[in-house]
Amino acid sequence: MNVKTAFFLAFNSIKRGNKGTLLMTILIMTLAYVNLVFVSSIFGGIVEAINQQAIDYQYANIVIEPSPDDRYIDNKAMGMIKSIPGVVGSSAHYIDKSVIEYDAFNDGKDIKRGQWALKSINPIDEKNVTKIHDAIIEGSYLEERDTNKILIGKEVSGGHGGNLEYLSLGVSVGDKINVTFANGIRRLYEVKGIFSTKSTAMDQTVFITEKEMESVLKVRNQASEILVKTQVVGGEDWYIEEIRSLGFKKEDIKKWSELMGFTSGASSSFDMISIILGVIGTVVAGITIFIIIFVSVVNKRKQIGILKAIGMTRGTIVLHFVIQALFYGLVGIIIGAATILFIIRPYFLSNPLDFPVGWVSLKVTFDVIKTSNLSLMAAALIGGFFPAYRGAKESILTSLWG
Amino acid sequence: MIIEVKNLKKTYLGRIPTNALKDVNLVVKKGEFVALMGRSGSGKSTLLHQLGLLDSPTSGEIIIEGQSIVLFSEKEKARFRLEKLGYVFQDYALLPELTALESVYLPLMLLGFNKGEYIAKATSILEKVGLGDRLHHLPKEMSGGEQQRVAIARALVNKPLILFADEPTANLDTESSVVILKLFRELNKKIGQTIIMVTHEPDDKKYVDRVIYLKDGIIQSK
Repeated sequence: MNVKTAFFLAFNSIKRGNKGTLLMTILIMTLAYVNLVFVSSIFGGIVEAINQQAIDYQYANIVIEPSPDDRYIDNKAMGMIKSIPGVVGSSAHYIDKSVIEYDAFNDGKDIKRGQWALKSINPIDEKNVTKIHDAIIEGSYLEERDTNKILIGKEVSGGHGGNLEYLSLGVSVGDKINVTFANGIRRLYEVKGIFSTKSTAMDQTVFITEKEMESVLKVRNQASEILVKTQVVGGEDWYIEEIRSLGFKKEDIKKWSELMGFTSGASSSFDMISIILGVIGTVVAGITIFIIIFVSVVNKRKQIGILKAIGMTRGTIVLHFVIQALFYGLVGIIIGAATILFIIRPYFLSNPLDFPVGWVSLKVTFDVIKTSNLSLMAAALIGGFFPAYRGAKESILTSLWG
Repeated sequence: MIIEVKNLKKTYLGRIPTNALKDVNLVVKKGEFVALMGRSGSGKSTLLHQLGLLDSPTSGEIIIEGQSIVLFSEKEKARFRLEKLGYVFQDYALLPELTALESVYLPLMLLGFNKGEYIAKATSILEKVGLGDRLHHLPKEMSGGEQQRVAIARALVNKPLILFADEPTANLDTESSVVILKLFRELNKKIGQTIIMVTHEPDDKKYVDRVIYLKDGIIQSK
C-alpha cells in the first residue's frame, strides 16, 4: 500500500473534483455531526435539569436520615458538618404527615381537604441548601420567627397551573388553613407564600418553621433528615466519609443520586434514548458516506481500472477513497463543532427550553464531542471502505470497460 | 526473446462459452515492434490483455523475460505491471483530475521515487513527446492527440520492458495518428523499445516490424 500516492490522489480528487458535490457532501456531514451532538446534548440537558432540580429543591447533595431504630437524628452536629471544607451549608428538617383543610366561607360546608407532606425548616439554614426561597411565585418566604405562617407548594394551593389542580385547596396568600399533625394536634396557619419548583412531588410539600414544628412535636434539636449542600456536584462519597467521621455512625447517609427513585429511572431512560438516537444518527451518517463513496466509485470505475493497469495495488486504491471519506467526515466535524459551539449552544444558553422538569439548555460536554467525533469518523471509515473495496475488487477489464 | 507464449487459451464462460483464444503460440523478440491485426472478435485485444497481465488466461503459459507470469498473485502482477510494462489505451485512459505532469509521474510515485526525481523524469519525457508546454494542463484542456501523447509518456516513464498499445490511434484524426505512430517507431528504433500494438488500420503496417494476424482466436500468420 502506497500511502503517499493515496493521499496525492485523494487530495487531487477533492481539489479538482466537482465543487457542488464536495459542498453538498460536507453539508451532509456537518448536519449529521450537528444532529449527533445536538441530540446527545439536549438529552444531557434534560437529565441535568432533572438532577439539578433534585439537588436544588429536594435533596441538596447529601441526605442524613436516622438509623432504622431511631426516629430522629441529633442535629447538634450540624455545626461540625458545616465546618467540613467544601460544605456550603446544612439544613435540618422535621417531617410529618399532615391533613390540611380549607373552609373557604368559614361555614363548615364545602371544606376542601387533603394529605400532604409537611416539613419544617430553619429558613436561614435552608437558604444555603435549597432554592425554595427563589421559587416563591406568590407572597413571601418564611422567617425564623414565624409561628403561624405556612409556605405551600402550588399543587397544594392550586391556581398556578399545577398538574394536580383538581386535588388542591384553592387557596391564596393570606388565606387561613387548618393543619392536623400526625399526633392529632390541629393548628390554624396563614398562607405566607406559594412556591413552584417544576417538580410535582416538591410542589406537593408544605413548610412551617423549625421552631413551630418543635412546639407541635414537643422535641428540641432533633431532625428527621439533614440536607448537606456541597460546593460542587460529584465527590459526595468523600463528604459522606467525612460526615461519618464526625460521629454519624449509625445514620443512613445517602447522596442525591441514590434518592432519585422515579426521576433516576427517567434520567436513565433519557440516557438510553440519547444513545439509541446517537447510534441511529451514526448509522445514517455512515450510510450517507457509503452512498457518496459508492456513487464516486461507480463514476470512477474506469479510473480504478486505469490505476490497477498501471500497477497500483487494491490497498492503495481503497485507501485513496477512504482518505476522501475521512476528509469529508473531518471537515463535517470541524464545521459542525463550530456551529454547535458558536451558534447553537450560545442560542440555547440565552433561550433555554421550558420543559416540565426545568429550564433545559444544551449540555455540550467534552465526552459528547469526543464520542460524536469518533462516531462520525468511524462512520466515514466504514462507509468509505466498503464501496471502495468492492470497486477495487473488480477485474481490471471490467473496470476499464466501465 | 522477451515474450514466449505456449498453448494459450482463453474461454469466456457464460450460457454459451466463447473460445476467444485457441491454443496460441508465439514468440516476440526484444526490441521488436509487433502489430496484432485481425477482424473484430478475432481475439487480438484478448491476446494483448493476457500478455499485458490485464486478464488471466484459461490455460497455457506466458513467459516474459524468463518469468512465467500466469501463476503470479494479484500483488505480484500489480508489481510486475508497474515495473516492467507500459500501456496505451484507445481512449487515452487519463485521470481527469491529474495534470499531464501528475499523470506521468504517478507510476514513479508508486515506485517510490522522491519528488525531485519523479518531477524531473516526468518533465523530461513529456518534453520528448513534444508536450513541454502542456505540463500543467488537465486532460480536458488538451486535444485527443496530446492526451494520447501524455498516455504514451506515462507508459514509458518507468522504462518498461514492453509497451502494449490497444488501438492507440482509433480515436484520433489522421494527422494525430501519424504523429503517434511515428513516435512509436522512433522509440522502437532509438531506444529499442519492444512494442506490441493492436490495430486494424492496414496503413499502420508500414510502421511495424512484424504483423501477427488472428482469426477466430487462432494465429493465421506471424
